[in-house]
Amino acid sequence: MAILELLANGLVFSSIIVLASIGLSLVYSIADFANFAHGDTMAVGAYAALLTFGVLGGVGPTVLALPVGFFIALAVGAAVAALVAVVTHVVVYEPLEVDSIGLLITSIGVAFVYRAIIQLRFGSNPIEFDIPLQRPIEALVPLGVRVTVHDVAIVATAALLVVGLHVLLQYTDLGRKMRATADNPDLARVSGIRTRRVEWWTWIIGAGLAGVGGGFLGLYNQLSPRMGFDILLVVFAAVILGGIGSVYGAMAGGLLIGVINQLMPAISDLAVALPLVPNVGPAYADSVAFLIMVAVLLVRPSGIAGGETT
Amino acid sequence: MTRAEQGVTLFVGGFGFLLVLALLTGTLTPSYTLYLAGLTGMYVLLSFGLNAQWGYTGLINFSVAAFFGIGAYATALVTATNSPLSIPGGVLVGLVLAILASAVVAVAIAIPTLRLRSDYLAIASLGLAEVVRQIVLNQRDWTNGSGGLRGIPDVFAGWPVLGELPEQLPGLQFTEYAVGIPGLFRVRVLGFTLDTPFWTDLLNFVVVVVFVVAVYLLLRRVHRSPWGRVLRTIRSDEDLASALGKDTYGFKLQSFVLGSIIMALGGIFYAFLAAYVSPGDLEPINTFYVWIAVILGGSGSNRGAMFGGFVVVAIREGTRFASDILPSQLPVNIPVLVDVYGAIVSDFGSTRLLIVGLLIVLVMRLRPEGVLPPQRELVWPSALEEKDE
Repeated sequence: MAILELLANGLVFSSIIVLASIGLSLVYSIADFANFAHGDTMAVGAYAALLTFGVLGGVGPTVLALPVGFFIALAVGAAVAALVAVVTHVVVYEPLEVDSIGLLITSIGVAFVYRAIIQLRFGSNPIEFDIPLQRPIEALVPLGVRVTVHDVAIVATAALLVVGLHVLLQYTDLGRKMRATADNPDLARVSGIRTRRVEWWTWIIGAGLAGVGGGFLGLYNQLSPRMGFDILLVVFAAVILGGIGSVYGAMAGGLLIGVINQLMPAISDLAVALPLVPNVGPAYADSVAFLIMVAVLLVRPSGIAGGETT
Repeated sequence: MTRAEQGVTLFVGGFGFLLVLALLTGTLTPSYTLYLAGLTGMYVLLSFGLNAQWGYTGLINFSVAAFFGIGAYATALVTATNSPLSIPGGVLVGLVLAILASAVVAVAIAIPTLRLRSDYLAIASLGLAEVVRQIVLNQRDWTNGSGGLRGIPDVFAGWPVLGELPEQLPGLQFTEYAVGIPGLFRVRVLGFTLDTPFWTDLLNFVVVVVFVVAVYLLLRRVHRSPWGRVLRTIRSDEDLASALGKDTYGFKLQSFVLGSIIMALGGIFYAFLAAYVSPGDLEPINTFYVWIAVILGGSGSNRGAMFGGFVVVAIREGTRFASDILPSQLPVNIPVLVDVYGAIVSDFGSTRLLIVGLLIVLVMRLRPEGVLPPQRELVWPSALEEKDE
């Protein structure tokens, strides 16, 4: 059975989910609300990368079958997503005098504004990056694994960013301040941490990672204005599974949810063989990810990481 | 009346006047006017349902579209001509099915999430709404998939008296007049016929009015009852409510189920109003229309919910009109503005999304308590009378 291939696909999809869920979790732990605009922030990053890549074309040598121009475009996408998020934070969220639920509702409005602007500029039809599709890596085909060099690039970049974030959180001054703010904002403030600045950095890092994730999602599938919203629930499932507000939990949850999502065809095979497993098609992959999240909530309400923040 | 109330009354009155004017001059056909009125009634029902959850108890439910869809699909599956499940029975079977199904789904969402932080319910309900939409879209053998269900008969089709009433009522013909000042303008007035389809639509409208009035009276009663008092306490301070010995979980569950059933009622009515339901009706944007209605009107206030329902229909159908009326090009030539204007006018679907988004942000920023926040709803009427004396 092609279980190895599904696992490989799962790892690729997980990389994207992990990039998205880290940002959602960071904002959850420091700004203290469920940011429903996070998915659309991914779309903002993806479309900014698309625009940049259109201007740059395929400049530079190719790394992992991707022109260097693509990585520059990704960086621009991340920067634009970060900028948009910080501006939104300053203009919309900061002046609000509402509780975390009010912020949550506001973020839905923000999500609609992002998406509407993308739609007005690019139309609602899917677009793709102008990069030729790759054939599967020959050496892995005998093993039954069909992954492209692009998939390797996605996993490698995501791994690099995750390690980078880990170093940032554990070994830098900013990381310590972020952890302190997430843990107890009032205590952090009286200890002399400029929590406002920490909040800004949280948005920059979270939205930047989301922008990269969006760019990769565009490379993996295609770009559409709804791409962020469509993946948002899977990302939420990952974050809740990991335990809201915990970055490391989000990584674990993202990995798990991404793999399960791609394993759906195997579950269908299993259903043919065993009478008790319900046969739901791949169309229900997102729904299944989601039901797993609800099931986890029933057993372990605080998620895998047990409610530890950052 | 407070100033806000005066403003709202003026707005609604003015809008109603414009509608009547449009009807008389032939801009709107009689049946479209009734459709608009019916749609408003439907949004008011949905807003009432959400208000019973969010406004009274503070439960964030992002699956309004799903409960609406359950109501609409239950009705359509029983009555539509191309229903893959030929369940025997008529409107009443659909009604019972819709209420049962919405209650079961509500309990299924509520059990894992109501004990947790309130934002879990937001995420879980949005997720389950998507699960419901996926099922409706993919289970072709139950729901006819993306093709939707059509051929839904009139509400009272086959009923003893009401079923034949529209055919028996006489057709009214209005002759056309032209009024105006010679040389300045001329307007065509009247000149339409009211016959069987109109009476059917009118009967539809009467049904939604009965639904709205009944639900309003029920909710008012419920809200003022001891039960409603507990809900308000839960919303403002849940720990206090449980310290007073109330089973907050049970109360939240009841409130969630009550609201969900009211939303299903809205869906049942919609099936008859549009005579066609499709998975597109279950899109999450429809949930957020209802949210706008409730937060704009004022969470917890049923009068606010009515006003909100009105505004939502104005946004939904008004943008449709605007696309017909507005010129496709800006008359003045300012480089950037022309492009922006062109994009906005040529793609009203996106513009509507933009308006909805901006409206949510602006309301939360400028008036988070809504236009008509609950005032009299919060006190027992006799207390007010004593105060007035």
